[in-house]
Amino acid sequence: MAGEPPAAQFADLDANIAKLLKCEPLAEADVKALCEKAKEILAEESNVQPVRCPVTVCGDIHGQFNDLLELFRIGGDSPNTNYLFMGDYVDRGYHSVETVSLLVALKVRFRDRITILRGNHESRQITQVYGFYDECLRKYGSADVWKAFTDLFDYLPLTGLVESKIFCLHGGLSPTLEALDHIRALDRIQEVPHEGPMCDLLWSDPDDRGGWGISPRGAGYTFGADISAAYNHANGLDLISRAHQLVMEGYNWSHEQAVVTIFSAPNYCYRCGNLAAIMEVSDDMSRTFQKFEPAPRRGEPETVFRAGGTTPDYFL
Amino acid sequence: MADDSLLPIAILIDELKSDEPLRRLNSISRLGLIAQALGEERTRAELIPFLSENVDDEDEVLLAQAEQLGNFVPYVGGPQYAYLLLPLLETLSTVEETVVRDKAVDSLCKVGASMPDAHSCEHFVPIIKRLGSGEWFTSRVSACGLFATAYPRCTPMLKAELRQLYAQLCRDETPMVRRAAAQKLGGFAKVVERDYCSRELMPLFTDLTQDDQDSVRLLAVESCGAFAQALGQQDATSMLLPIIHKFAQDKSWRVRYNVAQQLVQLCEALGAEVTRIELTPNFVRLLRDPEAEVRVAAAGKVSAFSKLLTPQQIVTSVIPCVRELSMDSSQYVRAALAGVVMEMAPVLGKQLTIDHLVPIFLTLLKDVYPDVRLNVISKLDQVNQVIGIDLLAQSLLPAIEELAEDKHWRVRLAIVEHIPLLASQLGADFFQDKLGPQCMKSLEDQVASIREASTRTLAKVAQEFGPDWARDHLVPHVLGLIKNPHYLYRMTVLGAISSLATIVSSDVLCNHMMPVLTNASKDKVPNVKFNVAKIMERLAPLVSRSVLESTIRPVLLELCEDPDMDVRFYARQALYACDHGPQQ
Repeated sequence: MAGEPPAAQFADLDANIAKLLKCEPLAEADVKALCEKAKEILAEESNVQPVRCPVTVCGDIHGQFNDLLELFRIGGDSPNTNYLFMGDYVDRGYHSVETVSLLVALKVRFRDRITILRGNHESRQITQVYGFYDECLRKYGSADVWKAFTDLFDYLPLTGLVESKIFCLHGGLSPTLEALDHIRALDRIQEVPHEGPMCDLLWSDPDDRGGWGISPRGAGYTFGADISAAYNHANGLDLISRAHQLVMEGYNWSHEQAVVTIFSAPNYCYRCGNLAAIMEVSDDMSRTFQKFEPAPRRGEPETVFRAGGTTPDYFL
Repeated sequence: MADDSLLPIAILIDELKSDEPLRRLNSISRLGLIAQALGEERTRAELIPFLSENVDDEDEVLLAQAEQLGNFVPYVGGPQYAYLLLPLLETLSTVEETVVRDKAVDSLCKVGASMPDAHSCEHFVPIIKRLGSGEWFTSRVSACGLFATAYPRCTPMLKAELRQLYAQLCRDETPMVRRAAAQKLGGFAKVVERDYCSRELMPLFTDLTQDDQDSVRLLAVESCGAFAQALGQQDATSMLLPIIHKFAQDKSWRVRYNVAQQLVQLCEALGAEVTRIELTPNFVRLLRDPEAEVRVAAAGKVSAFSKLLTPQQIVTSVIPCVRELSMDSSQYVRAALAGVVMEMAPVLGKQLTIDHLVPIFLTLLKDVYPDVRLNVISKLDQVNQVIGIDLLAQSLLPAIEELAEDKHWRVRLAIVEHIPLLASQLGADFFQDKLGPQCMKSLEDQVASIREASTRTLAKVAQEFGPDWARDHLVPHVLGLIKNPHYLYRMTVLGAISSLATIVSSDVLCNHMMPVLTNASKDKVPNVKFNVAKIMERLAPLVSRSVLESTIRPVLLELCEDPDMDVRFYARQALYACDHGPQQ
């Protein structure tokens, strides 16, 4: 048998993953190589990427790296546990670079064990305002790493479909996309547009009011229970699973359980006092939710943590 | 610089002059390398003067430079040339940025300590004088940190001058300078002759303890311990006790907080006798302080302080406070108490622990705040040793069993991690009755880390009670869980097999565990299959050649053909290990 053990081809990547798990950013050259490799892999994925069960579905992370590790402590390590992340890896938290590097590295190493979708923060425009750009500049001294990542973000799939039944995406539905096939037909390799179907998928929110509404966010739409019911029926779906909104208990049902919101950044922005959650979809498609608190932070002062408190409205 | 091997050094030197702060920083942090390449003579003649001309740089660059220069004595040619480094460090110790200044002072002390005594008087002491009478408070602050290094090596006359200068700094009009003087006074007291210490420094210290600024007073507190040592017990008791009494009732909580932090050290310096009579009331007062921060600091010291007292004294003076603190309104106070209260058990002895401490443990174990519960559990072994297993079983086990179902996962995890300890003390029968079922439940906990921890716990328990016991009481139950409909729980069984494999007999491994693994290799979930491959790789060296060829190899060969790429990868990796021996 030939000399090299099969693991040798992954030695560098495995070493980089080990480094990232210690919250150490990669060298600039490694990030660039990683992004190139990830592009090749993501380019092959569909706008509606099919995902097999069992899988654990997660919402926004927002650079809260220590809480991502906490998520893995609760849900199990990758690749032993299969994961589907619904976007918003960067911005707001202190460790966007390490967070997105780790998820992308895992994607490159175990493409069938982890699915990473695009969130509205995986965009050039938004990351320049909410922290990722500045963090890259601070940690690498130039915008090259930011450019490598934001170029990669264009390739992230927009939605995932678990066993043809659970439709996962970051934001919500779009009035111009009635069928999954319409999404499959989009040309997604581009910056998130200001309006239109691709923008809606990453920006829309479910609402208590029926029908389509104008979103207070200035992008995407709000959609009512009637829209969700019709969409699930027309596409043979059981559930729309999405993230994008802070929910105090980590997850939140809406539209008579046609839609679930999952948010995986506990104590969002280190101050919102919310729980985080993940949704474990089992071998038989049964669903369990796990809620979790922020990871204890050594050396940092106690943050005010109020489980079950009220949401400050300016973070919605 | 014609030599190619010196090219990198030439680049570093060029970069010292670069316009980019980042490049200069990079170069500065390799200053030792540059000096080595230049040699001692050129370092003295060229590098040091060059650096002296460029002290108007970014703070980060200056910080790196200040740090590097502390280790520079060998590069300039040893101690007799060390004085050449002083002017540069002196400049750095006057800059505005505190971290740079502090680093420069550290380095000055390092360099100063290596100099010959004569050079110290000739070059180092003048720096102290210049800085100490400097116009800006920054230089006077820096001066305070240099006295302890210079003093022991001075002539008596210079010594007198230094003491006088320090007195001046202690009375400086700028609070920042008085703070520095208060902070460094303890270190200075340690090197000053005892006589001068009590005659000259003690009055300075007394003044600082009465300073208007609480920030000065609280730093003075930190010098108490050093004074106690420098003065000797007799003087210390008479001179320091009144000060400590006053500090403990200071109107600023920050001062009282620092007293709470320092009190145990002070007690140790002043001796057990003084502690018992004079200091206990102070400690009790701090334990009942109106400010929660102070109570946190004091509560964290109850055990350390109690070690200096007699058991009877603990019961009469400390225990009542501890009882109050266990129901304190602040969760942080309760958590601090929970972290140390168990350590009182060995001091109190068995009966007093049972009478007085166990009820407090039980209260804390039921605390609503998880950190409090967690802190008690993590110190369980200490009380175990004192009160003995029967009593532990009676009084604490019900509480522990309840905690094993705690809704906070880190509490459950702590219990799982303590089970091996409890098991070894309670014995196999007891384990089977009480802890065993708990352990099995943890294997199916919803939280992945707890499932993993419980596989490690099982291995430790199996190790304790032996392979036969494990075969009869652990293995059947663990293997039964493989029927779980959820893949993550089936994989926990694989994890348990992996950690038990080295402990059970080869009969159990080959005839009970191997069939379960073989079946699992046909699981519908790829994750289960590649874990089978990983575990078989680990088991291969433990089984006979025939089992390897008849069981392991066929399974792996089949997995190599799996449609899932990760399954194929781990199967190939395992096969490679079977053929080439385990990987390093």
